[in-house]
Amino acid sequence: MRRGRLTPGAVRKWGFIASFLAAPLAIYIIFFVSPNLQALQLALTNSRGISPDFQYVGFENFTRLFGDEVFWAAVRHHGLILLVMPLVTIVIALFFSFLLNLGGGQRNGQLTGVWGSSFYKVVFFFPQVLAVVIVGVLFQAVLNPQKSGILNSVLGWFGVDPVGWLIKPDLALWTIIGVMVWQGVGFYVVLFSAGMAGVPKEIFEAAALDGANRFTLFFKITLPLVWNTVQVGWVYLGIAAFDAFALVQVLSIDRGGPDNATTVLPLEIFRQTFTYYRFGYASAMGVALVFLVLTFAALTLRVTRRERIEY
Amino acid sequence: MASIVLNNVDKIYAGGVKAVNGLNLEIKDGEFMVLVGPSGCGKSTALRMIAGLEDISGGEIVIGDRVVNHLPPKDRDIAMVFQNYALYPHMTVEENLAFGLKLRKMSKPEIAKRVNEAAKMLGLEQYLKRKPAALSGGQRQRVAMGRAIVREPQAFLMDEPLSNLDAKLRVSMRASLNQLHERLGVTTVYVTHDQVEAMTLGDRVCVLRDGILQQVDTPQNLFDKPVNLFVAGFMGSPSMNFTYAELVRDGAGAAVAFAGYKLPVPDTAFAEKAGLERYIGKRIILGIRPSDFEDAVAANGASAGWARVPVKANVTEELGSEINVLFTIDAPPVEHKDTVAAANDGDEEEAAALPLTGDKSLWTARVNARSHVRPGQNIELVVDTHNLHFFDVESGLSIGHPANVGR
Repeated sequence: MRRGRLTPGAVRKWGFIASFLAAPLAIYIIFFVSPNLQALQLALTNSRGISPDFQYVGFENFTRLFGDEVFWAAVRHHGLILLVMPLVTIVIALFFSFLLNLGGGQRNGQLTGVWGSSFYKVVFFFPQVLAVVIVGVLFQAVLNPQKSGILNSVLGWFGVDPVGWLIKPDLALWTIIGVMVWQGVGFYVVLFSAGMAGVPKEIFEAAALDGANRFTLFFKITLPLVWNTVQVGWVYLGIAAFDAFALVQVLSIDRGGPDNATTVLPLEIFRQTFTYYRFGYASAMGVALVFLVLTFAALTLRVTRRERIEY
Repeated sequence: MASIVLNNVDKIYAGGVKAVNGLNLEIKDGEFMVLVGPSGCGKSTALRMIAGLEDISGGEIVIGDRVVNHLPPKDRDIAMVFQNYALYPHMTVEENLAFGLKLRKMSKPEIAKRVNEAAKMLGLEQYLKRKPAALSGGQRQRVAMGRAIVREPQAFLMDEPLSNLDAKLRVSMRASLNQLHERLGVTTVYVTHDQVEAMTLGDRVCVLRDGILQQVDTPQNLFDKPVNLFVAGFMGSPSMNFTYAELVRDGAGAAVAFAGYKLPVPDTAFAEKAGLERYIGKRIILGIRPSDFEDAVAANGASAGWARVPVKANVTEELGSEINVLFTIDAPPVEHKDTVAAANDGDEEEAAALPLTGDKSLWTARVNARSHVRPGQNIELVVDTHNLHFFDVESGLSIGHPANVGR
């Protein structure tokens, strides 16, 4: 291989590799890399998207962006969702999957879940099968601020006055986070269940012989052993926290309202693009979003790096 | 330390499968008891019931002076070693050893003392800070042992702890296990499917089959006085040779006739085996251990009183210190449910050799390495007629065995 660069063997070898790489690489470049680069280019223009004429305006879009209150509101909302939503989802999902897989103790020599766990597994996964828009419409009915709203009428039995779940500015975002958690938990229950099923049952039996109760079994044995899976879930959920477009679009009052209390970056980009036709400005926002997501991903991978567990 | 007593213990799985059937067993204080049997015989289930990892469907288990039927595993004061070690992969060796002690709220200096003692005993001192993934199979196995030792329990339960090790390591670990038991003197119940492990480790060995206890005795007694065809065929390697034979008595005395051979039966056999007289003139199953054969030439001088059997060696397996001579005798193989069950769990090669022999039986003789016998050669073997085994054709029970009198 050293003497000639293009021996027939080398051609065959690299040709073989290239033939496999070409198609996916082309798709990646056409549909991912090039739009991103174009967005970067558009972000430096005053394009309105509907006419081919536009001028380069340098960093004007960005200076305007950093002075935009709505933009900062959206970034703050992402920050809050990022802090709360993955944590709550993971805690609930871990709790449920522990109960479903190990919480029922021994039966016939197998560690089993609580009574009826196979039924609950289906129920928990159900929201995952629904389209996000359907979830949104469903929760519009559930969270209706009138007395007749599903949640409010239930609360009414206990004498609680109707709550304006989505119309109170300081409550609306929390409500939407709640819906995101409801929608996401099922998938992570299944993910963590798979992680727990991958642990040899003898380890749990050894722990039972060593004197572990359910509490220590969960915190000292189960959690460390599924930690890799939890990290994967964390990254998924973190990326989902930068989206939230469909749910906010369908569920919130006035698309991101009331008074921009629930708006998120994808929604603002959508609005700037297709309502105001400010393609250049929207692209600048998109570039900012890309940097936010990249920073999050890099930080997560950095912080959560840990040695692999081997059984 | 404590004794373990099983009284009529049953295990019935959903669907009605009886994994353990009316098991009665008394394991004495400080005894090393081996449960052995082919796969699916219920030996692991029995062990897991003692540990509390499986419910008991019927009967009673007593550890020390407590009935433990409804005690959870952690309150039974026992420690278990698993086949795949079941070490906690996210903890260091030290943490693995200390985990059970920490959960029992033991003081820190006491934990450190016990962990260090166990590590010293098992030669694990330099590995204390490592995680299991960075250890070899033998080292992991020793950590698993250490985790049991530090607890200082009433009894050790071991579920095929050596099966995941390679052959050489298994032999040395077997020796260390023996030493360890002598040093600690803790009651031990040990499950294995390997009859060599059973013979070498056990103070007593309990042979199980289909959830039913076959025989409990010292290894030597199991080998010399098997209670039935199954135990006879299962214990010992190569396994015992069987054939249908007729017990006759004529002017020259009693003899057993099969496949054109006639071996004299010494009078002592009738004295030892009560009821053997009644089988004279009837068909029986004859069993001869491969080790009770010897090459007539190599055994020159020592063969006085031994019966001679001329055979043709089909295959010879030279093992260095001895030679296994495989030969066919002109008699159909014994097809009793007990011999089939015992043979099925034997070496694959033995099972594969059967079709080649047609309706003849393949026998094995273990002879001295000085014999120099070659495949295809005719060889004269001698048989120690004092060690012939006789079994009932119908029941498969050993004729005249004390446990079978009246059965």
